[in-house]
Amino acid sequence: MRKYFKNIYLGFSTIWIGMMITLKHLLFYKNITIQYPEQRLQLPERERNRLYVNIDDCIGCDQCVRACPVNCIKIETIKAVPGDKVGKTGETSAGKKKALFVPKFTIDFAKCCYCELCVFPCPTVCIYMTDVFEFSEFQRNDLVYDFTDLTKEQAEEKRKKAEEWALEMQKKKEAAAKKPPEKKVPLKPETNDKNKSDESPDSKSDDKPSKDS
Amino acid sequence: MEQFLIDTFGDNILTYIIMPVPVLIFLSLFALGAVLAERKVSAYMQDRYGPNRVGKGILQTLADMIKLFQKEDITPAKADKLLYNLAPFIVFTATFMGYAVIPFCSLYIGADLNIGIFYFLAITSLSIVGILIAGWASNNKYSLFGAMRAVAQIISYEIPTALAILIVVMIAGTLSMQEIVELQGGGILNWFIFGGPGGATKYILLPFLFAAFMVLYISTLAETNRTPFDIPEAESELVAGFHTEYSGMKFAMFFFAEYGQMFAVSAIVATLFLGGWQSPFGELIPVLNTPVAQIIWFILKGCIFVFVQMWLRWTLPRLRVDQLMILCWKYLIPVSFINLFAVGLYIVL
Amino acid sequence: MSLYDGIFYAFAIITVVSAFIVVLSKNIIYSAVSLFITLFGVAGFFVLLHADFIAVTQIMIYIGGILVLLIFGVMLTTKITDVKLKTKNINALTSAIFVIGITAVLIFIMLTTNWKVAEVVKYDETIDKIGVLLLTDYLLPFEIASIILLIALIGAAMYARKSK
Ligand code: SF4
Ligand code: SF4
Repeated sequence: MRKYFKNIYLGFSTIWIGMMITLKHLLFYKNITIQYPEQRLQLPERERNRLYVNIDDCIGCDQCVRACPVNCIKIETIKAVPGDKVGKTGETSAGKKKALFVPKFTIDFAKCCYCELCVFPCPTVCIYMTDVFEFSEFQRNDLVYDFTDLTKEQAEEKRKKAEEWALEMQKKKEAAAKKPPEKKVPLKPETNDKNKSDESPDSKSDDKPSKDS
Repeated sequence: MEQFLIDTFGDNILTYIIMPVPVLIFLSLFALGAVLAERKVSAYMQDRYGPNRVGKGILQTLADMIKLFQKEDITPAKADKLLYNLAPFIVFTATFMGYAVIPFCSLYIGADLNIGIFYFLAITSLSIVGILIAGWASNNKYSLFGAMRAVAQIISYEIPTALAILIVVMIAGTLSMQEIVELQGGGILNWFIFGGPGGATKYILLPFLFAAFMVLYISTLAETNRTPFDIPEAESELVAGFHTEYSGMKFAMFFFAEYGQMFAVSAIVATLFLGGWQSPFGELIPVLNTPVAQIIWFILKGCIFVFVQMWLRWTLPRLRVDQLMILCWKYLIPVSFINLFAVGLYIVL
Repeated sequence: MSLYDGIFYAFAIITVVSAFIVVLSKNIIYSAVSLFITLFGVAGFFVLLHADFIAVTQIMIYIGGILVLLIFGVMLTTKITDVKLKTKNINALTSAIFVIGITAVLIFIMLTTNWKVAEVVKYDETIDKIGVLLLTDYLLPFEIASIILLIALIGAAMYARKSK
């Protein structure tokens, strides 16, 4: 019997305590919801959001493609013909020379899992995480971002050039093959020499505007 | 009101069609407001803001209504089409029929039956049938379980409800809602929670009446299936209870009925114990006794109880089924019988 | 036709049609739901006869209590997955003969009886009288009924208990 009344008492008193707590929250406590579009939280320092590729620095080395666990990066490359410079300077900002055009560099952010695995292997640190996280789209295809700086026509042109040059090289190779003693040795230095000789004047000429700017 | 309509339109069917329209309008507005209030109250109790985008949040319910109107009306392939479509109407009609005997002011009551409160008890039990049919016709185990729990709960809690109501009826000596309210005129001390009209000896009854008031409030809470008695629609175990399969407008009807019931039972509690449309100041301030003020008093009292329902909902966790039954059979019903006995003794002596 | 006549005929049609469905439906749940409508219609008749207390009691006990129990029982005793709540018509011929016979007799009685039309009784509160009569003139039947119900209750509780 005592327990019975104690139960009743406990029932009421505990409900009362609970109700007072919620009442306190209702009346006096500040609301802590962050009103998102107007109010934003400071993002953490190493947050992982949308990737950005600084195509000027990309050397088309394919490292990021291989690192990606979900295969959402797609790259196409075209060999640069001697005498043609890749990008504005033909060099990365760190001074590394670029030998490949990148007519296609797409990242499908619908697939991307933001694991950041593609960032670390990049030799030129040109693929990195930005702080953009609001990029929803109505069409899934709109989430495929293309980072290349070449238009289609340009890419086509480069491709033709590369093909022509490849044919040329083929002919040269055949010509070289006719001379049995030196087979491969002349080939490599030849291309290298050409690249170097091509690049040196270009880089000089391109250095000027960059300094001006 | 009734007389006025009869004078205007004559004693024909039109009168009786127009009669309940104000209640329907009130109910719609109340549901809109209450849904918003519920969300706001719950939000502020949890230190959130709640809806605050569509028209500063005020139009949110309206937007939701429009959304519900547009939604596809899905009937599950294996459901019993006829009964599935019938159930929401039964539930809503039953709820709305209960409003017939709720006195909004001294001039407006749907029908001042001389068995008013008894009618209310009976009519609310109609919604049980709707709930059962909804649960069965959905052909879904969650719905069926929800319906069974709802029915078991409502039937059990009808007993303490009836007993608590009986106490007021014993003191008032009438079942008519309007008369019960009129008896409580003349200030806050004449309300039935303070023993109704009568001499100083009536204060002996105070603890019993207060207990009856609590019993009535708790058991009506259980009858409307609101937290902490929401095991029929326990989200964490039963998805949504008996209306799991419903969508669009039919879901809206269940929703509407739930909010309608919330106000109906609050109004009944207010009518029986807190003087209905009577002003707490009695004759002191005559302005507060005009019909318009009476409506405001009545809705205010009802809304206070609705607020307490929300308050409880966002404070308490859900009871288990056995706890629910223990509360009903071991606590509410014995207490009601003791009350009944004590009040009966007082009246006889 | 006055308003009350209209309402009466509406209720009559509802009651009779749903009563037919109760009997003829092959689906027990449909029968139960039709029974709900039938009982409701009967309650409507009580209201039209100014027997408000009986009308509400009808709703409360038959619909709120017995019918719910009925549906509950049907639902609990059948599997949810295969809905095979069918009833069969048997002995169609013999029952048809009896039904027609009884109907004929009833109609004959109805037509031949010399009905006395009473004055329309003014609307009167029935509930006071019922209460007073139950506790004065009819106290004994009332008490006997309550004792029978109590016995039934105790018996049900006994059966429901787990035998140890
Ligand atoms: S973040 Fe991960 S998933 Fe996304 S592109 Fe880089 S490697 Fe692929
Ligand atoms: S790893 Fe860096 S440089 Fe290489 S292809 Fe990817 S982005 Fe370009």
